[in-house]
Amino acid sequence: MNLIKDLMYMNIENDDNFISIDDISFLQLSDSFFPTGLYTNSNGLESLFYNKDKNKKLTYNDIFDFVKAYISQQVGPTDCSVIGNVYNCIQKNDYSTLLELDGVYYFMRLIDETRSASIRSGIQLLRCISSFTNNDEYVNFYLKNIKDGSAKGVYPVSFALSCNAMNIKKERSGLMLLYGFTISVVGAALRLGILQHYDGQRLIHEIKSVILSSVINNINRSYSSMWQFIPQLDIIQIQHEQMDSKMFIT
Amino acid sequence: MSLSRIPRIGIGGPVGSGKTMLIEQMVPHLKGEGYDVGIISNDVVSREDAERMRKNLATEKGLMPEDLVIGIATGGCPHTAVREDPSINISVVEEMELKHPNLDLIIIESGGDNITTTFSPALADYFIYIIDVSGGDKYPRKRGLGIETCDLLVINKIDIASFIGADLGIMERDAKIIRRDKPFVFVNSKTGQGVREATDYIIKDVLFNAPPKSKIKI
Repeated sequence: MNLIKDLMYMNIENDDNFISIDDISFLQLSDSFFPTGLYTNSNGLESLFYNKDKNKKLTYNDIFDFVKAYISQQVGPTDCSVIGNVYNCIQKNDYSTLLELDGVYYFMRLIDETRSASIRSGIQLLRCISSFTNNDEYVNFYLKNIKDGSAKGVYPVSFALSCNAMNIKKERSGLMLLYGFTISVVGAALRLGILQHYDGQRLIHEIKSVILSSVINNINRSYSSMWQFIPQLDIIQIQHEQMDSKMFIT
Repeated sequence: MSLSRIPRIGIGGPVGSGKTMLIEQMVPHLKGEGYDVGIISNDVVSREDAERMRKNLATEKGLMPEDLVIGIATGGCPHTAVREDPSINISVVEEMELKHPNLDLIIIESGGDNITTTFSPALADYFIYIIDVSGGDKYPRKRGLGIETCDLLVINKIDIASFIGADLGIMERDAKIIRRDKPFVFVNSKTGQGVREATDYIIKDVLFNAPPKSKIKI
């Protein structure tokens, strides 16, 4: 056990390169293997796939635009901003704003099935993290408030607290969240047969600059200036909620 | 998050093997013994199974409230939803436990093939795997984690064995070899033949013959 403990705090320096255990934590939480149920979300893509004009096939460019619109108009200015604000709360020991962020994000999710998916994934993520991180104060605080009914347990707040518990920096957490979102849409596109596996990876490669600029623009956005505007995609999500037959939760 | 964990059984098996009908046949037996049951159905592409059970067991027979049958979409990954990443199922189970703490049993249904479908112990305490004879009498012999490791193997649709040339004797012989001491039952879910025996395994091995919560006086 001592050897493992020592290794946890060991960094390996080689000229300009610097790697540490925290880098592996970054990989661990970014991995779609991490159990948060995100693979059950298509974020409305399933609805778009079934409700499109029957004579028009969804293309690579459609999926790219779909992901880009989400990142630029919702996940960036809302979810990514929530991440930054949670880190600020931790820095200031501001527990009450942390709970306010939870409530504001909850009410910004306009569609019931996306709210409930966010909470389910958020709570499971936190509980998984708390099972192996060493009694993180903020994770425990948030879990306690969820249990008491004072907090909902929304995904971006849970995600930021989990990243913080694993010593991952704020900006990197933002990248991870947007990357995870992209992966879940691309995964859904593959399973719906819209994209093939090489195209999926090409899309992830080509969307990197959108992810990066969204994090840069939104990670320090103030709590009061969070925004979202994707009415067409909201309508698609509402249509998904009403579908009788579906493969995805959102 | 729940205060106390309600016993949970997972019922897995290939599409069309009769999982939903097995549940529809088992619940009246359990209810007859006084046990209150909730059902979570992981559908691959639709909510059809959950809606059918809600209609048959809740709306028509009144064996449970309608909100005790819940359908979950799995993103096309039913194996993942019960094994590698059961987080969504666990969330739904816990929500059910919070809303209905007096339930005696929660049944979780999931589709999947015989190669990989096994329920995570974090999700289900007991695992029933169901196959049907239409896959041929080689099915048990071909093994797979589901067939080998489940707590109870159910072999369904025995009524059609003679029509498709499946020898139940061969299936019984191979199931005994592969399952060793673990139980298996032959069932015809359409008529209910064998279902009582399968239900008795649940009452004995999952509920430990305990009286239903509704009959316990505090």
